[in-house]
Amino acid sequence: MTKVKLNGNDVEIELTNWEFEEIKRKLNREPTITELGAYEVMWSEHCSYKSSRPKLKLFENAEENYDYVLAGPGQDAGVIDIGDGYALAFRIESHNHPSAIEPYHGAATGIGGIIRDILCMGVRPIALLDPLRFGPLRGNPHSQWLFKYVVKGIADYGNCTGIPTIGGEVEFDSSFESNCLVNVACIGLGTIEDFKHAPSRANNPGDYVVLMGGSTGRDGIHGVTFASRTLTEMSEADRPAVQIGDPFTKKMIIEATLEAVKTGHVRGLKDLGGGGLTCVISELTGDGNTGAKVDLREVFTREPGMNSYEIMLSESQERMTFIVKPEGLETVLDIFRKYEMNFAVIGRTDDSKVLKVFDEEELVVNIPAKALSESPTFKREEKRPSYLNELLTQKIPETNLSLDEIIYKLIASENICSKEWVYRQYDHEVGVRSVVKCGEGDSGVLRIIGTDKYIAASVGVNSKHCFLDPYEGAKGGLVEECGNIISNGAKPLAMVNCCNFGNPEIPESFWYFSKAVQGMNDFCRALKIPIVGGNVSFYNEDDVKKTAIKATPVIMIVGIIEGEKKIITLPFKDVGNEVFLIGETKAELGGSEYYSVIHNLEGGIPPSVDEKKIQNRWNFLFELYNRNLVKANHDVDKGGILITISEMCFKNKIGIDLDFTDCCEGHLRDDEFLFSESVGRFIIETSPEDHDLILDLAKQFNVNVKKIGVLNSKPVISVSGLKSGRFKLNLEKMKELFDSTIPNLMDI
Amino acid sequence: MSIRIAVIDFPASNCNLDAIHVLNNVVNVKADLVWHNHFKESKYDGVVLPGGFSFGDYLRAGIIAAHSPAIEEARIMLKDGRPVIGICNGFQILTEAEFLPGALLQNESLKFICKWINLKVVNNKTAFTNKLNLGDVIDIPIAHGEGRYYTDNLKELEANEQIVFRYSTEQGDLTEDANPNGSLDNIAGICNLEQNCVGLMPHPERASEPILSPKRTDHGKLIFESMIEFIKRRIS
Repeated sequence: MTKVKLNGNDVEIELTNWEFEEIKRKLNREPTITELGAYEVMWSEHCSYKSSRPKLKLFENAEENYDYVLAGPGQDAGVIDIGDGYALAFRIESHNHPSAIEPYHGAATGIGGIIRDILCMGVRPIALLDPLRFGPLRGNPHSQWLFKYVVKGIADYGNCTGIPTIGGEVEFDSSFESNCLVNVACIGLGTIEDFKHAPSRANNPGDYVVLMGGSTGRDGIHGVTFASRTLTEMSEADRPAVQIGDPFTKKMIIEATLEAVKTGHVRGLKDLGGGGLTCVISELTGDGNTGAKVDLREVFTREPGMNSYEIMLSESQERMTFIVKPEGLETVLDIFRKYEMNFAVIGRTDDSKVLKVFDEEELVVNIPAKALSESPTFKREEKRPSYLNELLTQKIPETNLSLDEIIYKLIASENICSKEWVYRQYDHEVGVRSVVKCGEGDSGVLRIIGTDKYIAASVGVNSKHCFLDPYEGAKGGLVEECGNIISNGAKPLAMVNCCNFGNPEIPESFWYFSKAVQGMNDFCRALKIPIVGGNVSFYNEDDVKKTAIKATPVIMIVGIIEGEKKIITLPFKDVGNEVFLIGETKAELGGSEYYSVIHNLEGGIPPSVDEKKIQNRWNFLFELYNRNLVKANHDVDKGGILITISEMCFKNKIGIDLDFTDCCEGHLRDDEFLFSESVGRFIIETSPEDHDLILDLAKQFNVNVKKIGVLNSKPVISVSGLKSGRFKLNLEKMKELFDSTIPNLMDI
Repeated sequence: MSIRIAVIDFPASNCNLDAIHVLNNVVNVKADLVWHNHFKESKYDGVVLPGGFSFGDYLRAGIIAAHSPAIEEARIMLKDGRPVIGICNGFQILTEAEFLPGALLQNESLKFICKWINLKVVNNKTAFTNKLNLGDVIDIPIAHGEGRYYTDNLKELEANEQIVFRYSTEQGDLTEDANPNGSLDNIAGICNLEQNCVGLMPHPERASEPILSPKRTDHGKLIFESMIEFIKRRIS
């Protein structure tokens, strides 16, 4: 908070003195209180990206460099051309701070916001995915409360709007105990024509500005400035800054908006999110090189007596702004009437390039349309944390546990166990598109009705890996999320990210952000994956422990599967088939579940990424897919290969004889081999007659591929070929442990 | 004469397009999505009340939609013997509007549940089950928070053969474990006395194409095909 003098009065603002002076200099006068509020919101970290923008410049221009990218960073959502006349829109966003103090409404309105972002691109929202982070559940009622109500908030909102939640990711780690992460992603599908109908700018003078949807209330005022500072014990007092969602109205807004866009009379479209009306009108006119006159008294308010400051800055949910051609106004309003939606014509665009907001006769805002979006940027200092050296060289203590005991513990651990408790609460099938359902594959797969084309999507990243090495961790996240959709048979097409970090004014926190951005940039350029959007959430700190959350640059990848026959799922299919491990295993146990669950360690060397090798493995898999050689595929993730293999055994109750003799050459210890989380590895099931062909192709593509086992009908995983001999795992016991952890902790 | 079906579009009937897709593209019958305030029964041979959250279900599932003028139109169809089906939220609307007896309460777990389950056909004489065999076990998903069927008149319901579907195991056993929501006597779907109106919690429109089913079945389609068969017999 900064104290400044405004027109003779003392005012506290969330801008620096320098920024306040800059505003006065730009306006050549003192701002009005409403104008100052507008600047405060629009120049907040959340809206202006003032700390992150200099770093995000690293990313290549996706729209320029990839002909199938229709909309890239800076728009409400990324949009790509997926052929057959279809446009796919997708975006991911954070709703961390609201969810940390009011989990149900915080999560619900997060869903509401991301749906609106997709809707702004003129396409129908068809799927949701949610990466979440909480503190450990065991013995922690606060984490259980957050987890329970975040999931319920997502479920109630998504289910009611009829958008299936098809995937997500949950990690539990003590760094998220008081600052949980709730990231929300949405995918939209429409024709390229639909997308072209809905630009998010007001290009033409003389068009009407129409506000539609929910009424404007006193909720959520300064939500974005609240999101741009660290949560403290005082944050409870910020509860009014959390908005209340109304999924029913949202469903009506979706239908009314899509119908209005179809008429061709809508020239611009934008949702009211962070910053409310202020943000929308200044962005629509600023980006469109026009101006506008708006009368605040036309805005329908939830309660009487709201002043201009409150109306301009309210972040009440479920509102959309339309820029409508004069000749189409009545047609569009009739659609809103059909859906019984409130609406108001609140102003008109003009060619003044100035935004003028009137409160009856009084001119309360009179600023250049572009002024609000031209925020200053800050060059933040970055410094590698000094604790890292010690962490990276941590050695593991001895354990008395045998390998099978370790695996039983791992499969029941919170980060590895089944998340069925979560996805059963989400309607993941509404829309009749969900082909690979939650639990059956590494990603969610949706059909495009009327074609033989399928969309695959996955979200996530490994926060523990990123904590030890944000550069390799961010790359690893990309390998993992791409690997998830590749496992299901898709080719990665584009990515968006959601960067969750600590306070950017602290050099160590900013270093994490800077390195993660570099990692994403390097990987995406090497593997030719366009980055079509992103969101940055800073100030995720634990005020009690005075530490930042573990760096969490969440990655969302979408891809396309060309044909039903090319869809691959995770469960093992047939007894007698062979199982191969693709990719090298290295002694990369830093940040692994093995270290944290068994040894209570956070350090060690985390996985690193070799782009060339990753590319070879992917190409090898695509070749196997072309020849229809793969019966099941699962990407190796947390807990290592035995966890991955167990998950593949569960559904069809198929057992396996594993022989790791060929894999354990060299200096790897048994625990290093079994529990390494080296990224970019896959376990595939193939038919025995293709054995030689697969190994030949592996040689051709220069990929390390080893046959590791044969499937059988016994409910046992038997392991041999290790340095310490053999052991067996009982599949029924594994499954029981896998399934029961979360229900046991939550359903009490 | 060509058959025409109406799918009623209440605000937030979010399975509306799914039902239209299956009727038009899978069952190959003409079906119109009709906004609830615009619905007139005279054009239609049958009506589908789809799943979703009509009017947000803020008060109690189905209660507000049950007072829509569309329901009075549907009541005319019910009375003259045309087929009426309520799926999920549609079932909740049908009980609220007293087309069907009983009520749908909150799931025993107090949570929304989305999963594939098995249904046993216990009455194959209705307008929506004539293409199924008695004792058939079908694959179909549920997705609801308030699906626990309850009635004070179970004996009467049984005596009148109004129970149509029961939750069962894959083998057709009516066990407690097979009952996902705590419904009385594993009841998943019922009909009126005349058997032209059926309400069920599971979603046949999500189980009508093999690609959507974990076991690659399309059992749900038989429910819609039964409806068409019933209409054909009725008008011939």
